[in-house]
Amino acid sequence: MNKKNVILGVLLVGVIAVIGVWYFIFYRPTHFKRDVTDEKAIVVSAKDIVKEFQSNEAEANKKYLNKAVEVTGEVIECKKDQEGHPTVTLKSDDAFSNVQVTLKGDKQLEAKGGSTLTIKGIVNGNLSDVIIIEAVVTKQ
Amino acid sequence: MIKTTIVLFFLNILIVYSIQAQKIYATKTAQIKFESSTSTEDFDATNNQVESKLSDNGQVEFKLLMKGFVFDNEMMQDHFNGKEYMESDKFPKAEFKGTIANIASVNFAKDGAYPIMASGNLTIKGITVKESAAGLIIIEKGKVNTKSSFKIKLKDFGIVGKDIGTVISNNITITVSAKYE
Repeated sequence: MNKKNVILGVLLVGVIAVIGVWYFIFYRPTHFKRDVTDEKAIVVSAKDIVKEFQSNEAEANKKYLNKAVEVTGEVIECKKDQEGHPTVTLKSDDAFSNVQVTLKGDKQLEAKGGSTLTIKGIVNGNLSDVIIIEAVVTKQ
Repeated sequence: MIKTTIVLFFLNILIVYSIQAQKIYATKTAQIKFESSTSTEDFDATNNQVESKLSDNGQVEFKLLMKGFVFDNEMMQDHFNGKEYMESDKFPKAEFKGTIANIASVNFAKDGAYPIMASGNLTIKGITVKESAAGLIIIEKGKVNTKSSFKIKLKDFGIVGKDIGTVISNNITITVSAKYE
């Protein structure tokens, strides 16, 4: 093995290392976001998930936080947030606490108040509403 | 007797009027953004699921879930929520409860951008610190919006990860925008 080959080998390893670092630290985390579409989800109604968070938030967090859920409920209203993502509120039995869903994309959801909707998304936690993000509509 | 009845009648109107007079504006999609800028790296993250209430008597509050902050880089987001920084599993929420001192200068019935000064308690990672911030209440066609931008020090909230001071600035700029209904 001559000196030239050693230098070439070292250069090659260096280039691969740089590309690897760039891919795993900068490219992949910005280009491949979590997509729940094909994830197995916990199936629950809007009424039940709100009840669970109200009766024991710590337990509900353990069960649902960061997990994919498929939630069915009655539509209260459809809107958009300040960045233009569509949102939909699903009704529970408590008028002050519902399920607040932010959908992927930027297309306003067309769903009438009172109609039934099923979404699949990631549970982010509970404020006055249970918050679900990165959601897709699975049944309308 | 008649006099008493008349007095009671007007007193009643006054009480009913004053109860109705306090109006609360609310939204569940307020936006809070934070920015860090150092010579090594600039980054920001945005939370679009912030709950906020504003009363025309000057009371104001914001509540959010730490995991609602979205970064461009998902790996950075994981670090942010992780043990070294926000410990979002242990401290999932942050909130601000305060008052606007000069609320009397805001005419909610008239379009305009009214400068305000809010102060109150900001709780992040279980630590409450008194903060104050200048901002605007903007009235446009009957809709009420607020905007504010202020700086906080991470160390005040016990956030002392190893990259603070180098990659992450200790002084974070918080920008708030709420469009009430």
